Amino acid sequence: MNLRDKKILVTGGAGFLGQHVVNTLKKRGVIEDNIFVPRSKQFDLRKKENCAVVVRGQDVVIHLAGTTGGITFHKEHPAQTFYDNLIMGAELMETARIEGVEKFVTIGSAAEYPEHAPLPFKEEDVWIGSPEEIHTPYAIAKKMLLVEAQSYRKQYDFRAIHLFMANMYGPGDYRSSFVLPMLMKRILAAEEQKTGFIEVWGTGKATRDFLYVEDAAEGIVLATEKYDSLEPINIASGEEISIRKAVEMLSRLMNFKGEIRWDATKPDGQLRRILDASRAEKEFGFKASTDFETGIKKMLQSYHA
Amino acid sequence: MRDIKNKKILVTGGSGFLGSHVVENLITRGVPRKNITVSRSKDVSFAKTHARVTDDSPENLGVDVIYGVDLRNDEDCKKVLKGQELVIHLAAKVGGIGFNQEKPGELFYDNIVMGARMIDAAYHMGIEKIVVLGTVCAYPKFAPVPFMEKDLWNGYPEETNAPYGLAKKALLTQSQAYRAEYGFNSIFLLPVNLYGPRDSFDPRKSHVIPALIKKVADAKVQGESFVELWGTGKATREFLYVEDAAEGIVLALLHYEKSDPVNLGSGTEISIKNLIYTISRLMDYKGEIRWDRSMPDGQPRRMLDTSRAKREFGFEATTGFEDGLKKTIEWYIKRQNKTLGS
Repeated sequence: MNLRDKKILVTGGAGFLGQHVVNTLKKRGVIEDNIFVPRSKQFDLRKKENCAVVVRGQDVVIHLAGTTGGITFHKEHPAQTFYDNLIMGAELMETARIEGVEKFVTIGSAAEYPEHAPLPFKEEDVWIGSPEEIHTPYAIAKKMLLVEAQSYRKQYDFRAIHLFMANMYGPGDYRSSFVLPMLMKRILAAEEQKTGFIEVWGTGKATRDFLYVEDAAEGIVLATEKYDSLEPINIASGEEISIRKAVEMLSRLMNFKGEIRWDATKPDGQLRRILDASRAEKEFGFKASTDFETGIKKMLQSYHA
Repeated sequence: MRDIKNKKILVTGGSGFLGSHVVENLITRGVPRKNITVSRSKDVSFAKTHARVTDDSPENLGVDVIYGVDLRNDEDCKKVLKGQELVIHLAAKVGGIGFNQEKPGELFYDNIVMGARMIDAAYHMGIEKIVVLGTVCAYPKFAPVPFMEKDLWNGYPEETNAPYGLAKKALLTQSQAYRAEYGFNSIFLLPVNLYGPRDSFDPRKSHVIPALIKKVADAKVQGESFVELWGTGKATREFLYVEDAAEGIVLALLHYEKSDPVNLGSGTEISIKNLIYTISRLMDYKGEIRWDRSMPDGQPRRMLDTSRAKREFGFEATTGFEDGLKKTIEWYIKRQNKTLGS
């Protein structure tokens, strides 16, 4: 699918990932007037009538809007997390189908995988067990969008796809409840207040698949253009980085010489999370091109700029 | 035990197969009819016409009925919840294996949106307790038999009814999340396949028992020397008599206040082959049974572990399978005669 002359709705397009997706679309030659980013103040997408308004006349929908906020938010707001994510996605897809949208891309997450899925996570294993408990309401809401996409494809030939995104980071990420910007902010605060140490939750042994956000945006746009199948697909770096390594890298690049205090009484979250990135490469030639150190440097530069 | 006699109780889907039995169970327990409200998707003229030909419509039970309700719509949920204290959410879009294969999108969307809107609205409207119904279709295709609640998430459901089963299962997550964040008293039950009087005999939507009874009845009327069934007959199912299911639901409303899901079953497993022979015998049909092996069996085995329901709220199914089948057949034959006579 050539996106150049398409009318494209990007929900959540003003958010961290969304801004990068919009930029990538523009680089593909999509003119600004053809990209519509609804704002939540004007369009509460939990209401079906608002969904119907925003999808009308669109050719493509990239649904990034979500209520999320990392582990603390998920723990404190399981009901809100479940309801908002489920209802927004379910209603948006339903109205998009009714309005004749050509392609619908739902953005899921690595959190959808079972806590004990074999590593690296492969798409076919997404149903073999329960997601990590704290993330379950978020994960199940997102997984329902996968089920909706698949069942609409079967009943209506609706072209909906579902992507499992790895943990994203990069410029424009000030979401202090996510691990990398949170660590960056703690180091900055420690420097400023000259405390000489930072405290980090857990043991540092947990690992994540960190995906640089511009790579993530490229993966999403490539999938929108080229991927059209029932099966969900991972968008990931395929590289496993421990929290300890991430902290050390940040400290080095930020010239932080203080102490790192691990608070092992706090949870690590899921111990290892690494995604098999091979299906996306095979299906539409996506490969993350930014290594972790380069990505972190870019994140730091943008913060200081 | 919760006092329900002085409570306003909403039964969504209360005019349906299971719902009408739940309403009758509540009435038998002494809940005044004026305290019970049933919401219906049908508009008032359809419902009134229908009430004339059947004896089991909510209109004839003397409870309040709200017509033309679309529970996929938040405003409609709030409208029917107004003034209510307890909710039994039974409204669902359901079908047999053929319907499930043709309409996965509709089954998914309608069930998940109805449930999600209803639970959310019930919380916001200050409802004291809601009972949400799941389904045995939520279990993984290859869960160890008998299915235990702890295995609910360990695998993908049988493909033909997965969108329906998963939509219902997500309501368990919602129920648990609302209890965790808001302290909302929402419970979740997983009934096995139900059967009994008032079940749907519409061939497009019917489940296995009514489908088989109708096949045999039709074959008898038309003098057919055989009936043909899908699959091999080897798949097994567990069936719960609808009045037992209603009893289980009301017991849970009275006694159960936890976030863990609970199976409602009869604890007996029967193969489709044995089922058709039993139905043929009870209906005195002597023709041959033929199997169309090119058609799917559905999930190979289905049986629930029913110990949690017994332990937590003392529920045990009491109707013997043949008794239940006889009552179902009698009801169907009587209704057929009535329809033909009217």
